[in-house]
Amino acid sequence: MKHKKILAMVLSMIFIFTVFSFAASISGLQVMMKVYKRPVGYDQQGNLTMTLINSSGDKRVRKIRQLWKDFGRVEKKIMMFLSPADVRKTTFMNWSYDAAGRSDDQWIYLPALRRVKRISSDSSSDYFMGSDFTYDDLGDRHPSKDRHKILRTETFKGDQCYVVESKPKNKSYMYSKTITWIIKGKWIGLKRAFYDEDGALLKNLTVEKYRRIKGYWIILHSKMRNVQKNHTTDMLMSNLRVNSGVPAYKFSVRIMKRGL
Amino acid sequence: MKKILNRMLDYPKVVLIITLVVSIGLAVIMGANSRMETDLDKYMPQDHPSFIYSDKAEKWFNIKDGIIIAIENPAGIYNHGTLQKVKKLTKKLQRMKEIKKADVTSLYTAENIIGKEKSLDVSAFYKKVPKTKAGLEKIRKNVRNNEMIFGRLVSQDEKVTVIIAEIKDGVFSQEFYHRILNLVKSYQGPEKLHVAGRPIVEGTLAFLAPKDMKKMVPIVILVIILVLFFVLRSFKGMFFTLLVVLFSTIWAFGLMALLKIPIYAVSTMIPVMLIAIGVADGIHLYSHLHLFMKANPAVGKKEAISNLINKMWKPVMMTSVTTAIGFFSLLTSQVYPIKYFGIFTAFGVMMAMVFSLVLIPAALMAFNLPGWKKDKKEKTENKSTLVSGFLKGMHKHKYIAIMLTAAVIFISIIGMNKVWINSSFLEKFEKNSDIVLTDKFINENFGGTSTLNVILSSKKKNAFKTPEVLRALDRMQQDVQKKLKVVGNSFSIADYLKRLNKVLHADDEKYNVIPDTLNMNGQYLLLYEMSGDPDNLWKVVDYHYKKANLVFQLKNDDSKTLNSVIAQIKQYKPEFDKLGISINYAGSGYKALVFTSLILEGQISSLILSLIIVVILLSLMFKKITVGIIGSIPIMITAFISFGVMGLMNIALSTTTALISSIAIGVGIDYAVHFIERYKIYAEETGDKTLTAEYTMHHSGRAIMFNAAVVIAGFLVLLFSVFPPNRQLGGLVSLNMFTSFIGTMTIMYLMLWMSNVYFKKKKEK
Repeated sequence: MKHKKILAMVLSMIFIFTVFSFAASISGLQVMMKVYKRPVGYDQQGNLTMTLINSSGDKRVRKIRQLWKDFGRVEKKIMMFLSPADVRKTTFMNWSYDAAGRSDDQWIYLPALRRVKRISSDSSSDYFMGSDFTYDDLGDRHPSKDRHKILRTETFKGDQCYVVESKPKNKSYMYSKTITWIIKGKWIGLKRAFYDEDGALLKNLTVEKYRRIKGYWIILHSKMRNVQKNHTTDMLMSNLRVNSGVPAYKFSVRIMKRGL
Repeated sequence: MKKILNRMLDYPKVVLIITLVVSIGLAVIMGANSRMETDLDKYMPQDHPSFIYSDKAEKWFNIKDGIIIAIENPAGIYNHGTLQKVKKLTKKLQRMKEIKKADVTSLYTAENIIGKEKSLDVSAFYKKVPKTKAGLEKIRKNVRNNEMIFGRLVSQDEKVTVIIAEIKDGVFSQEFYHRILNLVKSYQGPEKLHVAGRPIVEGTLAFLAPKDMKKMVPIVILVIILVLFFVLRSFKGMFFTLLVVLFSTIWAFGLMALLKIPIYAVSTMIPVMLIAIGVADGIHLYSHLHLFMKANPAVGKKEAISNLINKMWKPVMMTSVTTAIGFFSLLTSQVYPIKYFGIFTAFGVMMAMVFSLVLIPAALMAFNLPGWKKDKKEKTENKSTLVSGFLKGMHKHKYIAIMLTAAVIFISIIGMNKVWINSSFLEKFEKNSDIVLTDKFINENFGGTSTLNVILSSKKKNAFKTPEVLRALDRMQQDVQKKLKVVGNSFSIADYLKRLNKVLHADDEKYNVIPDTLNMNGQYLLLYEMSGDPDNLWKVVDYHYKKANLVFQLKNDDSKTLNSVIAQIKQYKPEFDKLGISINYAGSGYKALVFTSLILEGQISSLILSLIIVVILLSLMFKKITVGIIGSIPIMITAFISFGVMGLMNIALSTTTALISSIAIGVGIDYAVHFIERYKIYAEETGDKTLTAEYTMHHSGRAIMFNAAVVIAGFLVLLFSVFPPNRQLGGLVSLNMFTSFIGTMTIMYLMLWMSNVYFKKKKEK
């Protein structure tokens, strides 16, 4: 009884708050938090095709089987290479913790060595598997690390979007600022421009395709283009299943060695 | 022709004004449109396979010329101040618009690949400069343990570290060069900073050479004016002879500007040629006039000038046309700047002819004849006895003269075999100049300031992940580095894989080898891509591992060094052929080497071609093949001795020194034609061999001597230049003038005399 009352109160407060903020103003941080906290289910599995394109137009295609599961305080992800042949069955596992300040745990299994190795990830600015995405770019960066400001609202690719500028609190961060276009209500970032330490445009991230799966807004296809190096990474998800019941035991060193 | 020229004498002022106006017009166009070509790549024939390949490879692997800044601290570099300086300077360079951020390599940007807790870690040596001794000590230890860094970015004695900044294509300018020098200057002390690298050497060269020339050229011209005045004994004569040279140069460069053809470095040789050749016509004309007036003191102005034209138009035209055709033969060169040099020198020579035949007579008409002071009779007699004495001596010792010539040619051939091509830029500086000393300093402490890129290419994907290929690459790399002292360092995909293999096996030296399987290599590289900056990989291998770039760092940029490395690599060709891998080369050092060889090839083939043309032309002009062959003697002697002396004196062939032998064509023809034409005229006039010889010597011989004296005196001034290439230019031009002169007056004359041409028939009659 008491619980219900509290719940109702909280719900109504959230409702009022939301209405209020829509009616009046929502802060940049609030927008970014909504994007960060946007629910994407409690597990996902599918195939990722990562295409790397260099400045002369050469392409390298990597096919990866990918599992992800939210364990509450920790999110676990396991990725196994299907191709190219020389890295087949190479498997990568990442545990990302909710606790502030705790860095991710990462492992890699190299079939040629038949051994699992820890990878130290002292920097979230590292590029992910030779792509143009850093771990931060993939959505790991907590909004509280930056100061956010809504520059304007505008229609972008047919959607009403907030345009948010984010500047890092730590001045030595690899980006001096980012500008993000976020769809009102869906809380999906459609586009993000990254500026380097010297304030020059470094990269453009664009979301090419997203879909509502089981009630969640899920990004299926995105492109990151480094305009300074003229290098592009294309990430395409296929056969994506959400909340299909990925078993917890899949996220272990043993499975890495055995294969998914 | 004769008629037209004589008709012009009636309107001397009109002729003068028209020439002046057109010349000023061309000078204005020149001033407005002329453009110096400073991009060295533009000099290369773009369709030559070596250049096409090198240019492609430069794109594949992002090969660029680097500026090397060495920071020297006698107390060692591992202290807060020095490391901070490395960081600051790195950041400053990264922000320059001529440099891509990722193209600056220093201890600050370098990545340290290490094994950590049985895993791989790729991180910076430092981000913030540590304040504690322990922190500094850790950096030192990390560097020492990393053979990819130690000896490459930090010297073995830990007193010097380098920053390498690669420059974007085609953005190097004098302004940027000085900006770099000033930047480095502002960081001097207590550390000592040194700047080197190919762009800096080229920049210094482009800065010093014109600066030195600006100082020297006025003196050269002044000396030429003085000597010219002395030999012609007439201010007007001197003035108009120089005007011919000046105008022909203006017209040549004006036409160049009009056709929007840029001025190349070798184009600066055009005025040199035009001075050497253009002065000749004027001297011959004035010399003839002088002799004619002395012989006929009573004749009037118009008559004297008319005689000048009638008697001289033919040899002037013949010399100029043959010389121009000789220079046209440079069109056979594959190098565009050389082709242009040939065309525009030929054009300038033709213009010099026109001006000599039009401007000089017109000037004589308009401004009166030169007021030659009457020579004292005895002097002339003295001279004639001198001439006949010289002739008698030569006739008496003609076999000695022929033997001597043969000996000189023999020695020259020995010398020619020693001639070597040098595309080095450093060689152009004094041994004790700053730039050479800096280069030496960096070469002593590091791998080397010059690079050679060896491009290995397979048709198969992942070729450079296969152990057999990588092992062959590694063997060749180690072998070349071990066997050749000039190779200070090398770098390839093999270094990455060996390093990865080692650190993934707890730094066990046993594993400092190429991993055993293709998959293992692939997985190691993937692992590296996950932790490090894959961009570094693309400097040594392409996206599909079909091509690899093996970089050798060399302690010298001269052609001997490059050729020795290439020769060593060639021994591995059969092995790589078996693996289906081709070997090619790339980089600016290699391109310069090919370029210089091309210029030399072109120069030699054009010399031979022009020799043939000259033999044919002279044979036609004088209607005798023997005369054609005899007339080619001065060219041959000049060319032989020119190359011979270069070989014996260890002067390497470079773009400019090779072109100086063109003087052989220009001046050699001039001398031969003037001399033979006079000889023929006097032979017909006198029918007496001895008299003919004496008169010819007195007339043509004198003019030839004057011409040689003027040019030699002028160019000898360059021997006092502070800039070695300019000294070589001065010495070689003087030498070529001298040998052309001596060759004409001795051996060519003797051959003419002994062959009895122009006398046989008369005797028969």
